[in-house]
Amino acid sequence: MREIRTLIVDDSSVMRKIVERSLRQAGLDPLVVHEACSGTEGLEVLRARQVDLILSDINMPLMDGLEFLRQLRAQDLAPGVPVVMITTESSEEHVKQAILAGAQGYIRKPFTAEQVKERVLPLLRAA
Amino acid sequence: MALSLRDSVHLVSDPRNLDASVDEVFHLMLGVRCMRDSFPLAQEPESVTAVVGFGGLLSGACVFSTGGLAAMKIAARMTGMEFDQIDDTVKDAIGEICNMLAGSWKGKLPDLAAHCGLSVPAVITGRDYHLHVQAPEFQLHHIYRFEDAGFVVTIVCDGLQ
Repeated sequence: MREIRTLIVDDSSVMRKIVERSLRQAGLDPLVVHEACSGTEGLEVLRARQVDLILSDINMPLMDGLEFLRQLRAQDLAPGVPVVMITTESSEEHVKQAILAGAQGYIRKPFTAEQVKERVLPLLRAA
Repeated sequence: MALSLRDSVHLVSDPRNLDASVDEVFHLMLGVRCMRDSFPLAQEPESVTAVVGFGGLLSGACVFSTGGLAAMKIAARMTGMEFDQIDDTVKDAIGEICNMLAGSWKGKLPDLAAHCGLSVPAVITGRDYHLHVQAPEFQLHHIYRFEDAGFVVTIVCDGLQ
């Protein structure tokens, strides 16, 4: 089976670990994970590597998740690759902003592995 | 008319919202249930405190504070790793717990969720500090326990539009 190359962007190394564990629990296997701790670093990873899925926090220093999303769309990095935002911000306004910036999914922290599975698997199947 | 939370201060300061947020975060992220307690935490040589600021319709902070042993236990539950010292991963875990608590708490009220932003967490280690707010609009200060670990969550609001 083809490996699923994933980019996880979060300024918290603990959250990156938890997201990776949730993806593995969701059955994404074999999984290759690239990590970035800011939007700026996320863009650098995407210039160097191809990925099948991007999960990004919103509230980060240097470059937040929404600006990261706008930049990756504007620079046509990872075209057609689904992006899921994972964040503590949960209002309809925040979801709308993320969708307008080009996100296909939204997961609110705290989350369960089951929620990650429900949001991510359909996007991977459709991509 | 400008949006205001002044008339809903009783809803914003409802202590049950904080209890529900603590339960949600600890149940989903650590798989444990927390009980509210009234006894102060035992003093430990080391403590870890995380602060997430609120800005917008409500200004203030969510403060999460716990002893070193409980901090390591929380980090271990979150990551599946073991810790024997308060390293960067433990501090990061406590910062994220505070971040999720702040987000969950403000998410209990739609107007607050939409019009109140969160800062990135700041983490402080050490014991001899005081949290001082000149004239808070309201303050919630709750002690919780799970298993043999305890922690304190404080929501302090110093401005409400």
